[in-house]
Order: sequence, then structure tokens, then C-alpha cells
Amino acid sequence: MPKWALAYFGLTLVVLAYGFYAAMVAPKEATMGNLYRVFFYHLPHTILSFVFPYLNCGASFLYLYWRNRNVERAAAADAFALASAEITVLYASIGLATGMLWGRAAWGIWWAWDARMTTYLLLWLLYVSYLLVRRFSATGQTAVISAVLAIFAAIDVPICFMSIRWWRTQHPSAVFGGGDNSGIDPSMVPAVLWNMLAWAMWGAFLIGMRYAIERRRQRQSNAYALGFLGDEPGLGGAAPSEAR
Amino acid sequence: MIPFHTLSERHLVYAYIAVWLFQFGYIAWLVAQWRKSRG
Repeated sequence: MPKWALAYFGLTLVVLAYGFYAAMVAPKEATMGNLYRVFFYHLPHTILSFVFPYLNCGASFLYLYWRNRNVERAAAADAFALASAEITVLYASIGLATGMLWGRAAWGIWWAWDARMTTYLLLWLLYVSYLLVRRFSATGQTAVISAVLAIFAAIDVPICFMSIRWWRTQHPSAVFGGGDNSGIDPSMVPAVLWNMLAWAMWGAFLIGMRYAIERRRQRQSNAYALGFLGDEPGLGGAAPSEAR
Repeated sequence: MIPFHTLSERHLVYAYIAVWLFQFGYIAWLVAQWRKSRG
């Protein structure tokens, strides 16, 4: 792994540690007490799970554009699409888990079929299905099918994001950008911003690493295929292991 | 220091632990894949 990547990872850990510290020293909330501190991890993961699908969607568009024009660029775009989809599922899973833990303690229920939670579960299911298609499809057109699925899946993101603004159901209204009554106490804002930065840096690192692994796997698969065609003698041994 | 007596306090701790388990579990899997793909 390059030194700059390790330095970036080290910096990310420092920011994560400071984000945790900021979340713990932020003042207690008047009605919820300490429970509201779940919000400092829930919000960044949820917001970022709305951002990463657009990386996936953009990479999928690029894949479809390049697949008959530039094979190498198409493969890179496909690897990036896979990486961003996987991190989307990771962040959305955390958004769901932390939201349910908070809901059980605050509302007395684990789940409600309200607009935000239902559309968010759909978002999670869409990206899980994207990964399942990539893993188990045996058509030879997996990358094309998954790219098209990614473009459709991205449509749920703005609906989910706007759901707490369009429909007032169980989920709390938007904290930021939700109108005159939205917002939090200024003393809590640094903890939100530090954790947002920390988990964004962490997510970028994960995407970069997953992308690099997928590119390696693609090159090994190509070398393996070339070995069988006789272009590179001696490579027709064991198949490269799949990372996905 | 966060106490651990009530449901709210327990769920706060569980939420933070869940985040770390998900994130560090995933990066551990990535590191394993990275090592595997090197060979």
C-alpha cells in the first residue's frame, strides 16, 4: 500500500478519534439526555449513504459509455461502481442499525413503516440486490445489468432524502435544511461536523481500497484468461480468487 | 462517563459498538482480500 494512503488512513483515525471525543463532550440534550449522542454517528452514516450511490450511478454511466469504446476505462469504472455500492450497503446498514437502536429507546419501537424508514429500507434492499446480481449472475452481461440496476436504484435516493420534508410521519423532521424550525444547538454543531468529516474520510479510504482490490482481481482474471489463450504461457494455473 | 443503567444508556453504547463492529469488521475483510489478491 502506498505511503500516502497509510498517512491518509492515520489522519482519518485521528479525525475519527476527535469526532468521538467531540460527541462525548457535547452537552446533554434537554429531553433525550445522552441518548441523542447516537445522532452523531447516525447522521453522518445516513447522509453519506445518500452520497455514495451517486458515485455508483456516475461510475455505472461511465461504464455504459466506455464499454464499447475503451475497455480499460470501462473496467475501471465498473470496479469503482462495485466499490461504491459495497460502501453504500455498509453505511446504509449502519444507518438502519443505529436508527433502530435509537427508535427502540426513544419511541419504544424498533421499526415503523413511515416514509423515511420504508424508503431507506428500499434503498438498502436495492443496493444489496445490486451486489447479489454482481455476485451470482452468470449471464456474461453482469456488468451491464448491474450498471442499469445502479441507475434505477439511484432514483430512490432523492425520494428517501426528501421523504422527511414531503411527508410528516414517525421519523423526526430534517435537522439541517428542514425549514424555520430545524437545526440544533450551536454547541452541538462541532460534534456533527467532525463526525461527518471523519466518516467521509473513512468512506473515501474504504472505496479507494475496495477499488484497488477489484482492479487487481480484474488484472489477475485477464492474465488467467490470456494464459489459457496461450498469450502468456504458464498462467493457466489456479483461477484467481474472487474478492466479492 | 456514560452510565449503563437504563435502556437509553445501553442502546447508546450498543449503537457505538455496532458502528465500530461494522466498520472495523469490513476493513478487516478488505485487508484480508488485499493480502489474498497480492499473490
